[in-house]
Amino acid sequence: MSRIALDAVRKRFGETTALDGVDLEAREGELLVVVGPSGCGKSTLLRCVAGLEAVDEGTIRIGERDVTRLRPAARNVSMVFQSYALFPHLTVRENIAFGLVVREEPKQVVRERVAEASELVGVVDFLERRPYELSGGERQRVALARALVRRPDAFLLDEPLSNLDAGTRVEMRTELRRLHREIGATMVHVTHDQVEALTLGDRIAVLDAGRVRQVGTPDEVYGRPRDRFVAGFLGTPAMNFLTPDAARRFYEIPEGTVLGIRPEHVRIDPGGVPARVDLVEVAGSDAYVHLDRGLVARVPADSRPAEGGGVGAGFDRKAAHLFDEATGERREWT
Amino acid sequence: MRAGERRWGGWRQPVAIAVAVAFLLPLWFMLSGSLREPGEAPPRAPELIPRPLSTTSYDRAFDLVDLARHTVNSLIVAALTVPLAVLVASMAGFALLLLAGRACAILVGLSFAALMIPVTALLVPRFAMFRWLGLTDTWAPLVAPALLGLSPFYVLLFYWSFRRLPPELLEAARLEGMSPFSMWRRVGMPLVRPVTIAVALLAFIASWGNFLEPLIYLFDPDLYTLPLGLRSLETLDRTNYPVLLAGAVVATAPVVLAFAIAQRYFLHEDRGAGWLGR
Repeated sequence: MSRIALDAVRKRFGETTALDGVDLEAREGELLVVVGPSGCGKSTLLRCVAGLEAVDEGTIRIGERDVTRLRPAARNVSMVFQSYALFPHLTVRENIAFGLVVREEPKQVVRERVAEASELVGVVDFLERRPYELSGGERQRVALARALVRRPDAFLLDEPLSNLDAGTRVEMRTELRRLHREIGATMVHVTHDQVEALTLGDRIAVLDAGRVRQVGTPDEVYGRPRDRFVAGFLGTPAMNFLTPDAARRFYEIPEGTVLGIRPEHVRIDPGGVPARVDLVEVAGSDAYVHLDRGLVARVPADSRPAEGGGVGAGFDRKAAHLFDEATGERREWT
Repeated sequence: MRAGERRWGGWRQPVAIAVAVAFLLPLWFMLSGSLREPGEAPPRAPELIPRPLSTTSYDRAFDLVDLARHTVNSLIVAALTVPLAVLVASMAGFALLLLAGRACAILVGLSFAALMIPVTALLVPRFAMFRWLGLTDTWAPLVAPALLGLSPFYVLLFYWSFRRLPPELLEAARLEGMSPFSMWRRVGMPLVRPVTIAVALLAFIASWGNFLEPLIYLFDPDLYTLPLGLRSLETLDRTNYPVLLAGAVVATAPVVLAFAIAQRYFLHEDRGAGWLGR
């Protein structure tokens, strides 16, 4: 397995800049999740690494090799596509063996590797079926087996779970994590789903408008977001942002800053700042309480206040984040 | 069922029957006319089943003109033309797909422009070219257009079919190191099978029914194709319409047969080919 390193990579499509000087590294054996909103350039990034798009500037290395100008097949990476990209005219077995057959590997090797990969992802029971006879989750497993069978230097996964229903997505997320542990491969996983990113990644890279905003472990990125974009993008419901005027009811904050507080850190507390409950959304064991102070609090559903009632709200100062009002950069409390 | 479908559902069958009758009646009269005695005058009213039934007209048709040889000639020309046309048109269509961008747009535009040029406008220059090459009075001028896919329409048909395939399928193939030829053969062609059959059928009909080109390029009666044989039949015995119709039946039967065989492939719901991985 090899590391993947991007150095000042730029990619434009006409007037649109998809990647704007991206520096990023997926360490050897790491599962790096690239997350960002639609159109932020995350799929382009993956396609540039795969060689499906040529970069305009910068270099891409896989291991110690500079692969920037190499054709896709010479980069020795496997890619799992959002739509699975299984060949409909081939059986599951033929789909998995496809890359090996194209490379004219000996039949014995093909047989062994297909058996090994299908065992690993659990598709042994339907090797003779066609892709259209499989469920979404099963297709995704086949796509993973096809990626595994070639033993590439790295795996690229382009939103592989986004076409699955909620239940299967959770199941496949766990499967992916288990698979990564088992094979110890370098994986770059692209998604727009922040929950997927936070639960799956060894590290997370948050991308916005073709730029990497922050790279770090899920705890780092969630707990100490580098800027207001990252803070607002990760977390459900999104982080509350209070202007100095609104924040002053709770704490004094420096001029030119915005206060950020995650909903789970907002307390409904009789001794807090008085507020009215505008709306309560119940999501299973949690309830999202929308207050008239521009705050959303996440509280246990069984202790939620009534809509329209008056409550007190508060939060710990040390749980709050400060961001520069103009640049959005993180500021520290003084 | 939606309201629109229900409304249409009630009308579908009678409309289908009316269309089928409109197309089948001429064929039926051709067949029934060919089964009349040779030399009989045409009936005053349309006759569904002639009395007495006779196959003598077929014997006469084969006696008057060497229809067997002309049929074999037509089959040879079609056997050369159809696979070549399918091969070239599909490869050209796939090449357009891989080209993409501005070059593709220009070539598609040029193909459209070529489609607008009437075949008759090219007859004289083509004839001059083949005579200069010394290929007149051979089947080469009849087969040669297949080297260009026979018609730009077939190339465009393949191009549009390949464009319907999810791009990820070809990208997956590229990542596995497949060459463009290999992608065409192992990914593209198996997924556009109904179109391939349709193009093969259209090319067969075009080759089989081609009258004008054999007429201007072929001089030796031994090389004549079936449409020229039919013309000879008309020249030799113009008023003997049962014999003429017997010749027409011989000429039509292979096309009907080819369609009957082919239709099960492109009307059959082949989920393997129709499901495109999404």
